[in-house]
Amino acid sequence: MSTTPVIEVERLNVTYGDFHAVRDLSFEVRRGELYALIGTNGAGKTSTLETIEGHRTPTSGTVRVFGHSPRDRRVVRPRVGVMLQESGFSPDLTVRESVRLIGRLTRRTDDVDRVLDIVDLTGRSGRKVSQLSGGEKRRLDFATAVYGTPELVFLDEPTTGLDIQSRDALWATVDRLRENGATIVLTTHYLEEAQQRADRIGLMHQGTFHREGTVSELTRTLPAVIRFSLPPVAPALPLQAVVDAHGKVVVETFGLQKDLHTLLGWAQDHAVELRDLQAGPTRLDDVFRAIGS
Amino acid sequence: MLPIALSELIQIFRNRLVLITSLIVPVAVSALFVRQHETFAAVGSLGYIAAIVMFTVAAFGLYATAVTTLASRRQNLFLKRLRSTVASDRSILAGLLLPVTILAVVQVTAILTALAVVAGGPANVVLLVVAVLATLAMMIGLGLATAGLTNSPEHAQVTTLPVTLGVVAVSSWVGISGTEDLTVLKRLLPGGSATEMAVNAWNGGVAVTDSLLLLAPTFGWVVVAIALATRLFRWEPRR
Repeated sequence: MSTTPVIEVERLNVTYGDFHAVRDLSFEVRRGELYALIGTNGAGKTSTLETIEGHRTPTSGTVRVFGHSPRDRRVVRPRVGVMLQESGFSPDLTVRESVRLIGRLTRRTDDVDRVLDIVDLTGRSGRKVSQLSGGEKRRLDFATAVYGTPELVFLDEPTTGLDIQSRDALWATVDRLRENGATIVLTTHYLEEAQQRADRIGLMHQGTFHREGTVSELTRTLPAVIRFSLPPVAPALPLQAVVDAHGKVVVETFGLQKDLHTLLGWAQDHAVELRDLQAGPTRLDDVFRAIGS
Repeated sequence: MLPIALSELIQIFRNRLVLITSLIVPVAVSALFVRQHETFAAVGSLGYIAAIVMFTVAAFGLYATAVTTLASRRQNLFLKRLRSTVASDRSILAGLLLPVTILAVVQVTAILTALAVVAGGPANVVLLVVAVLATLAMMIGLGLATAGLTNSPEHAQVTTLPVTLGVVAVSSWVGISGTEDLTVLKRLLPGGSATEMAVNAWNGGVAVTDSLLLLAPTFGWVVVAIALATRLFRWEPRR
């Protein structure tokens, strides 16, 4: 992965009348990385993404894609594939006609059959878009985004409505694009996808970044949790703990392995059973949930 | 622009409702005027028939279809999809409107040719062509402006009524009663000058330079419509 920025956002502000959707947002997306933009509802993800895609004009601040304004379509769009959040296809065109039309308008070259094969729509190529299921429309959308193997791909909630096989196929294609050096910008509500796949994450809240960094950098800001039940009579615990509303003992720790070892040793020594023992590292979900608190 | 125009043409011929409203209705109404040309010529003149045919096609075939098309493509985010490509805004609009414009030109040409064959041709063909093109330009401009106020194809059935009925009514009024009285008002109304120009072109008897002056109010409406469209036109549905 290169450190050369493909996307540069500097002090971006987007307002709609009195509503400030994005506030002084600055970040970069480097060449070859998968950058996930996640956040609470109304956090400003869509406004940010649409501004970077060139669909929206910033109220103030600058956005550069490959060093150009994203609104300079002739220069930027041949290098960019966009998977919109919603379909955006004409219902009276067939699948093949839709891919061919959008493909031609990207000025990239590709084989329509190859692209349809990637998204498993070869058998549906003659069908009108109006006859496709929701999942098939998402796959069609993805097909137009990866047509001609673009250098930068925007994936706006790409797996919503897809079955598990289609999700796997989509991510396999994304992996292949990345092997060829493509940069991916992802927005998703599926945090496990961001956690598994993103090199870096921008976590948005109220129009700006609540946090930004790698998964490890984001999760290390919160303690991991060990949770278990104790019998009614038990000796004093070796660690500081609280009891939650369900009567479970909760230990918050920044040294999970060490404290778990201490706890298990204590249980062994005192012949205490730690019922329903759960322990795990901090997940992105936990960081996300902590936003409001 | 051409790939968009081609896909639009495919969609027009696949959508029966659009096909009926944009092709069959204007042709059927115009055919009635041509068939009954002696009756309508007695009310106005052959020039009046030419003008009313021109406005029937321009209003129902071009204007209403253009508004419906743009509203529909916006509603299903097809406009946003097209804007995700290299295509410029102008080429997107041109591509979307080119097929209906060409169809309207073909319709007007065919119907006026039929009128010329059965009732005798126009006195000044070039002036008639200018009148037709100016009218189509005005209706495209009004279509873009109206599309900005139209949320959906269903909504277009309501939003297109004032202009559709308005220009046909003005054309009938000017075509039948002439512009001897209320001259300024009739020429300033949308379609008034274009109707007078078409009547002059078909019937003859008026100096070409006098007729060409009538282009000014028609293009004035084009400018007003484009200015309105610039302010009103939206590429995405309201959130």
